[in-house]
Amino acid sequence: MDLLNLGIKSIFIENMIFAYFLGMCSFLAVSKKVSTAFGLGLAVVFVLGMTVPMNWLLNEFVLKEGALAWLGADFATIDLSFLRFIMFIAIIAAMVQLVEMTIEKYSPSLYGSLGIFLPLIAVNCAILGSSLFMAQRDYTIGEATVFGFGSGIGFFLAIVALAAIREKLKYSNVPDGLKGLGITMFITGLMGIAFMSFMGISI
Amino acid sequence: MRQSNTYIIVFSLILTVVLGGLLSGVSQVLGPAQKKAVDLDTKKQILGAIPAEKAALQSMTPEQILARYSEVISSVVADYNGNLVTTNEKGEPIVAENVNIEKNYKKPVDQRVFPVFKYSENGEEAYIVPTFGAGLWDAIWGYVAIAPDLETIIGVSFDHKGETPGLGARITTDEVQARYQGKEMYDAQGEFVSIEMVKGENHSDSELGANKVDGMAGATLTANGVNSMLKNYLGYYQSYFDKNVRNANAMTLNNN
Amino acid sequence: MSTETLEAPVVKEKEALLSKRRKKFVTDPLNDDNPVTVQVLGICSALAVTTQMKPTLVMAISVTLVLMFSNLIISLMRNAIPTRVRIIVQLAVVATLVTLVNEVLKAYAYDMYKELSVFIGLIITNCIVMGRLEAFALGNKPYDSMLDGLGSGLGYSWIILAVAFFREIWGSGNVFGYPVFEAIGIENFPTNGLMVSPVGAFVVLGFIIWVQRTKTGYVEH
Repeated sequence: MDLLNLGIKSIFIENMIFAYFLGMCSFLAVSKKVSTAFGLGLAVVFVLGMTVPMNWLLNEFVLKEGALAWLGADFATIDLSFLRFIMFIAIIAAMVQLVEMTIEKYSPSLYGSLGIFLPLIAVNCAILGSSLFMAQRDYTIGEATVFGFGSGIGFFLAIVALAAIREKLKYSNVPDGLKGLGITMFITGLMGIAFMSFMGISI
Repeated sequence: MRQSNTYIIVFSLILTVVLGGLLSGVSQVLGPAQKKAVDLDTKKQILGAIPAEKAALQSMTPEQILARYSEVISSVVADYNGNLVTTNEKGEPIVAENVNIEKNYKKPVDQRVFPVFKYSENGEEAYIVPTFGAGLWDAIWGYVAIAPDLETIIGVSFDHKGETPGLGARITTDEVQARYQGKEMYDAQGEFVSIEMVKGENHSDSELGANKVDGMAGATLTANGVNSMLKNYLGYYQSYFDKNVRNANAMTLNNN
Repeated sequence: MSTETLEAPVVKEKEALLSKRRKKFVTDPLNDDNPVTVQVLGICSALAVTTQMKPTLVMAISVTLVLMFSNLIISLMRNAIPTRVRIIVQLAVVATLVTLVNEVLKAYAYDMYKELSVFIGLIITNCIVMGRLEAFALGNKPYDSMLDGLGSGLGYSWIILAVAFFREIWGSGNVFGYPVFEAIGIENFPTNGLMVSPVGAFVVLGFIIWVQRTKTGYVEH
């Protein structure tokens, strides 16, 4: 029940985009068409769902203070948490590379639609952000997995919704200076207000 | 040559060693300063629960704060049943200031340890106890200073990780924390009721009474978090107070 | 122009320390080619930390430093980095620099460290940093790259400071934590809760982009 709660929380209430502004770069850059937004969204869900639990293992058994206790009592006091950033980003970059190669080999059609976004994902703040949040909040492995997928789905929903709005926006008469990024900012703000209505829900 | 596998592997290895070495070096060098910063931060928060001390903290240097702390605070650690403990399960000594309340919070309640900080300055005394709980978004925590009658709150200091700025985050302001001063955690019948922050703002004192404080408009969920945090932790400390303060007082009375 | 002649090089063939070409590296990203409002990079942190000016300033300084030095280091190594693993090499260098910033903050500015929490770590994935490394540092000399990093850093800094200024003054009536409205005698300034919430950030940045693009005449199609 707690897990379900956490899942819903990470999708709607603590949406990566609207509550934490993470992953904004690709959110703004790749939301011009619904089909591409859909592809990027799926890739993010996938990578987040994989990397958060993986980084959890890394954090739990290597990086955390006292995490090396399984090596013997001498190692119990070692605190490697200063290596957290570099290790997390290494795992993410490696995972993205791996996913890219696997998809390229086994499903060229999926690669065609998803492949171009994969390099973009390595530098998507939402991915690293989720891992850092996971470490900071001391999640369990179950929570970490749910949180990873939940955040990914939250990002997916947000980017597809924005792309749909932007497609319709082509027919609107927007002032010159506001075209593109400017109006997108306002729309994102309004969507944020909508998402705020989920605030405080607990199941 | 630049693209050969051997070159890539050697390059990555060298890079890893250089960067890893650099980082561990820096972390070794800065380690003591970081420990000091954490220590100072904890002590500042503990002292901050006493309103008179909090006002003075602003203009003090870190050294003065540490000196002041060791001058007026002494600390003990109790277990869930209120018995004093000095060592952890591994037999290492426990220092109250180093007890990580957040890590403790994850354990089942009867396995946690409960630090108590005794404040004494010019005959004025207080028991300062740490509290920890969940707010609307993330963790909230604080220190509560209790008068020697074990009923009246002298002051509180709260902090939070991610409450909404301007709404729930107001628990860190002096304005909100001052509302707790002088409130009591026992009702007229002598039952433990903790202190409750009510919904909505601008209640009159007569409306609130001794066990309730005025709420924060628009931040009822954070207030609920604060309420359950106080109720839990002030409750946990009752067994410590029963065994070590009330009993001890009773004994001295008998001796007289 | 005057700086150019003042800083005239001793050796004739060598380019001036701050030649016109080099000055452009610093000044271009401030306005015409601003990383945030024109190139749409680094928005995440531009919005997340800007509820108050003080953490924003710390963030701006951190990002500028990381940008300068990662540009410098990558530029120094540009002929040695194997192309196939260049992204991960860049990430490793940036992550190291960010960890340094993080550790220093933790040791000497613990309050800021607590306030910024994960957002310092997220400088690693700030697209401005990776963008500049890919687009500039991999193909240019170290000193030029450093100037380019400084320029982009400053361009980023003034935008986030501007956003933070409006959010703090409307959201909590302060500037750098100093209650300006009380100081000039306006008690009970009606603060707007929307400004401190994420929504305020989007709206303020939207307006800044609008004003700036109207001035520069840049239109996105």
